[in-house]
Amino acid sequence: MTALTERIALASPRTMLRKGPSKGLDSLFRTASFASAMVVLLVLAGILGSIIYGALPAFREFGFGFLTSSAWNIGTEQYGALVAVAGTVASAVLALAIGVPISLGIAVYLTQLCPGWARKPVGMTIELLAAVPSIIYGMWGLFIFAPLFARFVQIPVSNLVEGLPLVGTLFYARVPSGVGVLTAGIILAIMIVPFVASVARDMLDQIPTVLRESAYGIGCTTWEVVRHVLVPQASVSIIGAIMLGLGRALGETMAVTFVVGNANRLSASIFDPSSTIASRIANEFNEADGLQLSSLMALGCILFVITFIVLIIARFLTRRVKVA
Amino acid sequence: MNAASAMNAAHFEGRGQADDTAPVRIACKDLNFYYGQFHGLKNVNLDFHDRQVTALIGPSGCGKSTLLRTFNRIYSLYPEQRAEGQILLDGSNILDGNVDLNDLRSRIGMVFQKPTPFPMSIYDNVAFGLRLYEKLPKAELDVRVEESLRKAALWDEVKDKLKQSGMGLSGGQQQRLCIARTVAQRPEVILFDEPTSALDPISTGRIEELIEQLRAEFTIVIVTHNMQQAARISQFTAFMYLGELVEFGPTNRIFMNPVKRQTQDYITGRFG
Repeated sequence: MTALTERIALASPRTMLRKGPSKGLDSLFRTASFASAMVVLLVLAGILGSIIYGALPAFREFGFGFLTSSAWNIGTEQYGALVAVAGTVASAVLALAIGVPISLGIAVYLTQLCPGWARKPVGMTIELLAAVPSIIYGMWGLFIFAPLFARFVQIPVSNLVEGLPLVGTLFYARVPSGVGVLTAGIILAIMIVPFVASVARDMLDQIPTVLRESAYGIGCTTWEVVRHVLVPQASVSIIGAIMLGLGRALGETMAVTFVVGNANRLSASIFDPSSTIASRIANEFNEADGLQLSSLMALGCILFVITFIVLIIARFLTRRVKVA
Repeated sequence: MNAASAMNAAHFEGRGQADDTAPVRIACKDLNFYYGQFHGLKNVNLDFHDRQVTALIGPSGCGKSTLLRTFNRIYSLYPEQRAEGQILLDGSNILDGNVDLNDLRSRIGMVFQKPTPFPMSIYDNVAFGLRLYEKLPKAELDVRVEESLRKAALWDEVKDKLKQSGMGLSGGQQQRLCIARTVAQRPEVILFDEPTSALDPISTGRIEELIEQLRAEFTIVIVTHNMQQAARISQFTAFMYLGELVEFGPTNRIFMNPVKRQTQDYITGRFG
């Protein structure tokens, strides 16, 4: 590579006219840009390495049982990840289940149905929503949303389903306080909607007009055009957007800590309080030491692994979509 | 002009002669079209005969695509566009407010400038439009898909890979897939909006042959900026300029004996 550059430099009389130490600067520039790229790898490896190192005592103490144990007892020094992992996955899945259809609805409305004059203001509002700090969502969720949710959803629904099989467990609040896994899922849904919606909107906007017209041209209704042509056409990018939202939902800390209830109880009801990995770490890091600190580090490792799995699934899905 | 006529005359061999006794499929009566304030079509009166190919020619911006896009009311997707006057399809006005647009578009198919395969398999691309309007058992659906692909001269090339994505085909094959998709719905009229402008000469030739064959079953309207193409494949030609219909008649008459000065200037390449 350098040999080639030098030969070109020799062959060209123009370089004779050049002033200054351009060659030295150039190699400095190359090194600097290489170093910047390496810094990212180093930081990632450093963080991962130190967390794994910090988590070692907990993994050594509890072994694989750390994943399957629902204990979290500071007095007896018994720790397990099951409740936090279940809470993390459940709240994130609920957030996607609620947020993705709404996001796609917004994207489809903005790109296909919205009259021109309304497009900008509605789009801007959605982007503004993404700029709201998560602590605001948390505070609003705890003080305003949770009491209303308890009064108008948890209590009536619990009364309705009490004693029924399955739904009687899934939608029954032992203590209708308003906080819980579903509340966290709803708040997370509100938080991921702007991201997923704006990426999905951009993707639908990029679809060529002729494709849309030819779908309408064979007599499709708007629903059929969106369902069978536009969304599949943009599916790869939409899955990417959804994974982006899932990543945010899994790792979101502040808002979730406010509304998830922070209970270490394994419950089959989505109305019951629970914990997520991020909320537990945020709650306990300040006072933790010894095995408890190490267990929190181990929880951090698990969150790392979960997000990594999400990334792999995203890759796998996008590749499958491309082939089909 | 004589040289041009002689050259054009050669193209008519083997093509059907214009038959103006054929029944009128589409009739435009005092058709006006507006893009917001812009007056895109001005008092167009024009008849399209059954099972004839009618070419719409004229310089860019003359309104030929605009006219084509009124026949399946695809312009209705855009609220600022509107048409006034009458377009009679088999005698009933499709500009009426109560026309079912989805039904209209299944009766009047359209093929666009660029191939637009849907993101699904080759088979589903053709079956998709059928499934919208007809509940067919699988066996019958297979028959219709094969029949349509044969009519689009694509069957032999794709019969072994029906389950593969339509996106994997070449540009010319994709355009024939779009024609198969349109033909499958058994429309009365097929609109072609510069169907070969994105294709190489060989693919263009195949599409032109195809249009000639499809004429046996369908009324065809084609917009083209290529005058040789209009001369080669159409029985009737309409020349448009600045939103007005300048001249309409049998293709050989338009190309060899144009009545209007503007038509003559355009087809001899003096402007356009």
